[in-house]
Amino acid sequence: MTIRTVISFVSFVSVASLVFEPRASLQGPRTASIRGHVELRRVVSAAERRPGVAELGTPADRDRPDLRRSVVYLESAPRGAFETNEGGRAVMDQRNETFVPHVLAITTGMTVDFPNSDRFYHNVFSLSKTQRFDLGRYAAGRSKSVQFDRAGIVRVFCDIHSHMNAFILVFSHPFYAMTDADGRYRIERVPAGIYNVVAWNEGTLSDPKSVTVHDGAITELDFSLR
Amino acid sequence: MKVLRAVAFAACLTIVLTPPAADAQILPSEPFSFAGGRVTIGGDVSATFGELDPGWFDYTDYQHSALRMLRIDVSTAVNAGAHVTLLAQVRTENLGMLRPYGLYARLRPWAKRNVDINVGRVPPTFGAFSRRTYANDNPLIGYPLAYQYLTTMRPDAVPANAAELLDRRSSGWRVRYTLGNQQPDRGVPLVTAFRYDTGVQVHAETARLRGTAAVTTGTVANPLFHDDNSGQQIAARVEARPVAGLILGASGARGPFVGATAARGAVGDGHDREFTQTAWGGDVEYSRGHYLLRSETVVSDWRLPIVRPPLLDLPLRAVSTSIEGRYKIAPGLYAAARVDHLGFSEITGTPAQGTLPWDAPVTRVEIGGGFSIVHNLLAKISIQRNTRDGGRAKRRDTLAAGQLAFWF
Repeated sequence: MTIRTVISFVSFVSVASLVFEPRASLQGPRTASIRGHVELRRVVSAAERRPGVAELGTPADRDRPDLRRSVVYLESAPRGAFETNEGGRAVMDQRNETFVPHVLAITTGMTVDFPNSDRFYHNVFSLSKTQRFDLGRYAAGRSKSVQFDRAGIVRVFCDIHSHMNAFILVFSHPFYAMTDADGRYRIERVPAGIYNVVAWNEGTLSDPKSVTVHDGAITELDFSLR
Repeated sequence: MKVLRAVAFAACLTIVLTPPAADAQILPSEPFSFAGGRVTIGGDVSATFGELDPGWFDYTDYQHSALRMLRIDVSTAVNAGAHVTLLAQVRTENLGMLRPYGLYARLRPWAKRNVDINVGRVPPTFGAFSRRTYANDNPLIGYPLAYQYLTTMRPDAVPANAAELLDRRSSGWRVRYTLGNQQPDRGVPLVTAFRYDTGVQVHAETARLRGTAAVTTGTVANPLFHDDNSGQQIAARVEARPVAGLILGASGARGPFVGATAARGAVGDGHDREFTQTAWGGDVEYSRGHYLLRSETVVSDWRLPIVRPPLLDLPLRAVSTSIEGRYKIAPGLYAAARVDHLGFSEITGTPAQGTLPWDAPVTRVEIGGGFSIVHNLLAKISIQRNTRDGGRAKRRDTLAAGQLAFWF
């Protein structure tokens, strides 16, 4: 993750709660959508296992995380967006030495469950400034959870399996969307207004794109990440 | 004061190496990979600075102390298909010569069976600690005594009698005997943590059971690249994992210890394979939540040539037991402690010497902790109290140290 990425995201997080788009309001009856496609023009590969020279045998096969998923979000949110926070839960599974999903986008106040679906121990932790936590070691079939109260990027690791990592993007508003397997996204219920929209993938941010959203309309916006 | 110095050292290193923002990882955070993941390169760097060690408690040879060490390891794995992986590791200590530490081919005859054959300079079969000597695997800075403390036993030189052996107690960092190589040199630990074995190793595992057997040169105390006594060591390890978090291990190894030249100097030709090292080990690890507990016992029996009275009472036995624990206090912060004792069997020397352990028993208590600056950059401090019961070297010493460990 680059310094620029972090600074950009942190700036977004801190400024978003103060700067409201004056021409937009959640109170209006009609909302719109922003949809489009995120093209990844770079090759992103999953972290490999460290060379196990001291291991006596070949390590077991593991799953590969899906690194093609991106997150698209409004850099600044409409007035009233911060009053809609209702908590809720999300799940980040630990399965075959992989966090599933590899990227999770949530709003502040939500709780993420981290079940262990492997036969052996995992130890989920994060040293991110947004949220530091260490869930300790726990066995298959058990789950521990963390509530995320601050917006920002949380990088998640396993203390036992160094190749396991994941991202949790915590937003202080609901105007974000994950891309599907083809890179398509759709942000729903966006009030009319002018917004800056950003795409994120594996720590890389696009330049913000300004978009005007009209009542009841669908606005197309594509991104390309290098 | 010692603790303050260690803390200051760790703080300085932390400031120098810490990225400007904890999330902004400047240093590599994962291994480099090429050729679609077929080639991976990883590294381990640890910088340790501790007190001067006038009692030679932490020396790994005459020139190197484990508490004053810059160690750099670079590891490579080349996956050459479903059946062959080539693994190598080079290491430098204190920016000295780069040495090949491990270099072997891992063969998997059946792609879907967990059976591997390692050929070359292979990881140690014996014990639990021997394969986790990297700084990020060791919650403290010092090593367990069984794997690091230099006893007065030498493979290339032997004492003429019990009196000579008793006379050398506590001088394992630089010991000299009258038979064999008469130059002063270091003795050996019970099991060395600083060299890999050379030979062939077979490993098989299921979900709950792992087994390894190997035929290598040298012994666990003195692994060799070229054999010096025409004898091979046989080593085996069995590891059970009955429930998540619990590991029970047992190890055994036996091989000719005394080099041919030293054996010939003591008792003539044809006996070098009789002077053996036999080692047994048992270990247990249990972890749950934020706790990690480990214990390991190593028993080593040496058989040396009996030359003249007062006679050595064979086997010369050394027994080491260590218990260590780690507790995570907060995210990225932990405390750890280890209690370690190394004892020796008794022999009788001259009337003036009486009956004593053949080397001076040592007890070490080490406490410390670590703080993760980022997920793969760890700052540690520790303080250890060493006590030696006998010998000419300094008998007690309290040593503080700081360490920065980085890996990718």
